[in-house]
Amino acid sequence: MSELKEAAQEIVGYARDAGADDAVAEVFDHRTHQIRYSNSRIDASNWWSLKHAHVFVAVGKRTLSTDLLDLASAKASTEALVQGARITPENSAYTGIASGKFKYRRGRADPKIVAMRSPTKHVHDAISAAAREGATDVGGTLFVKHMRAAIASSGGALAEDETAALELSVRAFSQPEASGHALCLTHKLSGMDARGTGSRAGQMAFLAKDPVQGDVGKLDLILEPMFLGELMHSTSHMISAFYVEVGMSMFAKKVGKKVASEQVTLVDDPTIPSTSQRAFDHEGVPTRRTVLIDKGVLKTYLHDTSTAKRFKTKTTGNAGPYVPLGFDPPAAPLPIHPVLEPGDLSVEEMIADTKNGLYLNNTWYTRYQSYSRGDFSTIPRDAILKIEDGRIVGAVKSIRVSDNMLSLWKNIDAVSKSTEEVYWWDEVAPPSTLPSVRVRSMNITRSS
Amino acid sequence: MIDEDLVESVLDAAMSQGRPLLAEVRAEATDSRNVAVKSGVASSIVSSKDAGMNVRIVLPTGIGFASSNGMSKAVGAELAKRAYMLAKNVRLKHPAEMSQEQPVRTSWEVRQDKPLADTTIEGQVDFLKGIDAAVMKTKVKVEGRYFEVRTSETRSSFANSDGSRISSFLPRVRVDSSLVVTSKGDSEQSMREFGGVGGWEVVESWDLEKALADEVRMLKTVIDKGKMVKPGTYDLVCGPEVAGIAAHESCGHPMEADRILGREMSQAGKSFVKPEMINFRVGSEYATVVDDPTIPGSYGYYAYDQEGVRARPRYLYKEGLMNEFLTNRETAATLGCQSNASSRSENYLREPIVRMANTHVAPGDFEDDEIFGSVKEGVLMHSFTEWNIDDKRYNQKYVSREAYFIEDGELGGPVKRCALEITTPGFWGAVDAVSKHVKHNAAECGKGDPAQSMAVFTGGPMMRLRGVALK
Repeated sequence: MSELKEAAQEIVGYARDAGADDAVAEVFDHRTHQIRYSNSRIDASNWWSLKHAHVFVAVGKRTLSTDLLDLASAKASTEALVQGARITPENSAYTGIASGKFKYRRGRADPKIVAMRSPTKHVHDAISAAAREGATDVGGTLFVKHMRAAIASSGGALAEDETAALELSVRAFSQPEASGHALCLTHKLSGMDARGTGSRAGQMAFLAKDPVQGDVGKLDLILEPMFLGELMHSTSHMISAFYVEVGMSMFAKKVGKKVASEQVTLVDDPTIPSTSQRAFDHEGVPTRRTVLIDKGVLKTYLHDTSTAKRFKTKTTGNAGPYVPLGFDPPAAPLPIHPVLEPGDLSVEEMIADTKNGLYLNNTWYTRYQSYSRGDFSTIPRDAILKIEDGRIVGAVKSIRVSDNMLSLWKNIDAVSKSTEEVYWWDEVAPPSTLPSVRVRSMNITRSS
Repeated sequence: MIDEDLVESVLDAAMSQGRPLLAEVRAEATDSRNVAVKSGVASSIVSSKDAGMNVRIVLPTGIGFASSNGMSKAVGAELAKRAYMLAKNVRLKHPAEMSQEQPVRTSWEVRQDKPLADTTIEGQVDFLKGIDAAVMKTKVKVEGRYFEVRTSETRSSFANSDGSRISSFLPRVRVDSSLVVTSKGDSEQSMREFGGVGGWEVVESWDLEKALADEVRMLKTVIDKGKMVKPGTYDLVCGPEVAGIAAHESCGHPMEADRILGREMSQAGKSFVKPEMINFRVGSEYATVVDDPTIPGSYGYYAYDQEGVRARPRYLYKEGLMNEFLTNRETAATLGCQSNASSRSENYLREPIVRMANTHVAPGDFEDDEIFGSVKEGVLMHSFTEWNIDDKRYNQKYVSREAYFIEDGELGGPVKRCALEITTPGFWGAVDAVSKHVKHNAAECGKGDPAQSMAVFTGGPMMRLRGVALK
């Protein structure tokens, strides 16, 4: 048994000995190396390591969690946590943790990624490749990530997992207002294509040259996987039962109803090989492939054990962390790896079949007037290419997509057969495997 | 307390790695608590103690930064070795530089009348349940109710090779609320944040039971009685919340030197501002925006930044002219100036980068009612829901949460979802009057990669824009 698994099991033992009825301990060991570069040169080389445990205990319906940073004091800290739980107010909505005999797949990290010492070559390759396409200014990040995790619970969970990933982000400028963005995410060193990624960013920057003010009105949009990944961030979160419960979801009361076009089948699949492959969720339930939207019909929300009981269903293995991470609330079911099933068209065929539209490389800042209605806007960035009569005829700038998110999903009428894993910064998240899609008749606005 | 001898020994280890241009060590310990109440029930309680260190080494070949949880000589020595190797392996063609700053030996702290360490989980749950009860007592139909209180106490010790030695203690409090009101088949949402530094007395000063009960009543009024604006050109009066988000998004961010120089180009983006644009006109003579970390009690308060530079107010736009960029030591060296203490990081694990603190529109000479008293036909936009801005900080959009028609200088009925879509010079160039009374709002600013959430104030007085397009 690995030392992480032992540590997780020991913490659960300490909690039970101290009187906890339920306990979950998830121990992590993260190592991350990041190269940051801009203006076609490296700015900084950052490395960080974090070894810690998320611990949850319940005494009856009195619950308490901690991020345990000092594993050497795990016994005393866990005993104090249980003592603390005894005097917390009751969480009447708490219905226990998952229990049973679980079977897990264990992830394996590519040892070649784990052993990497100097990844700067990939950065230089990406910069050079973008420059060969005419880029004058290239920036981005390269992450080398290695994460080991183990989980134990009083409900019978006991497992470990390991992932390694390379994440390359390349943004290239050919002019001050002409840029392209491309990504390479891989869980295997052999999958790193820095030159190809740099070339693609450079090509998009070249196509984006000499942009003119975009037109307002209704246009058909072809969205690259990166653009769609930004929309997937809010869409997949709104499928979480947590956001449904707090009224911040356009999917409330829509299970079994049509929420997207028939072209759309969306699953959460942490089991496929990817940078975010996970063997278990944060309460120790084995992850699984969950169909969320089947040919346009919403099939289920994302659940943990507690939300599933309240919704009279079963957990989907999407329990989120017990402690708040980033902008996500604690103890909320979360998507792990959304996958939009591919279609049967090439991107070239989609462009050729579009009379009046835009080809969109990337976007950011998707914000909602109302999560429950789905009214939103987002600001395309990087290449915004104008399509007329099936051909790309130039570039535009300074536009905004201002529409409704349910309408967007319902207006998808073409899905590409190629897919790509995307994850970028805090915008295109969580890591997702997505095709390009075409959306008919979306509203474009701009500054007056 | 943090062992300052430990910090000293890690700095020695960093200096022994070679001949760095600069070596820095930060050790940090934070006690934090997060209590959430969802639909009237204590849904999550988290209590944690964190401690860790970082080492940053600047060599002519590059910058290396290493961090880890754990606080010991062994951890520090490993980080020093690693930071040195990282800096060495960057192999810059042009040597890295940092601005020369005066070394400082000091300590600073924010005092608490009611120390956060003395508050109980039970008390915090009761506090949030009290807000929930006050919201329910309004009889407004609130379909979604979620409240969170976050408290933290951070002790920090910093040392650098220039001779700076700074220790600090910063207690911080924050309450988030998420409310969704429904009526007549329609709904409106409100996501509010309240924050400050100090003890529990800061939370009590917000009177949240009243503030959030008023909020749901207002949302119901907007649903029941609000009317859409007929698209056209109007005078717009921005309340402090809207003036504040504009100050943050279309002044603070574009005036960050790291964006101007391109260092954030693939994430938060660049800026329409260029290094040579100091004294360039971006707004009217009434447009002055200040970023001031030294406002007592403010959510973005600090006395010294994370590179040991003393904080001071920065006038970003001054009477409509670009006046001063937000800089750290790295960007100041490139621009040939001194740092104005804008270096911040979310915690010890992350690289410090250029950040805002408390960004607000400076006060003018008018009373609030004088601001809309001369408006013949317009809108008062008190607060916003949807907002966004492009990655060069030029095209922005604000959609109202609470807004009212103005007719012949008098406030009229509520406006529903009024949208302003405008350029940065268009916004600041239209300002023709600013009131005397500045109000602040707490917010979390996101920037950096990995994204670092940063506590800030936004704010301003009432501000009038003449002849802008609303829809």
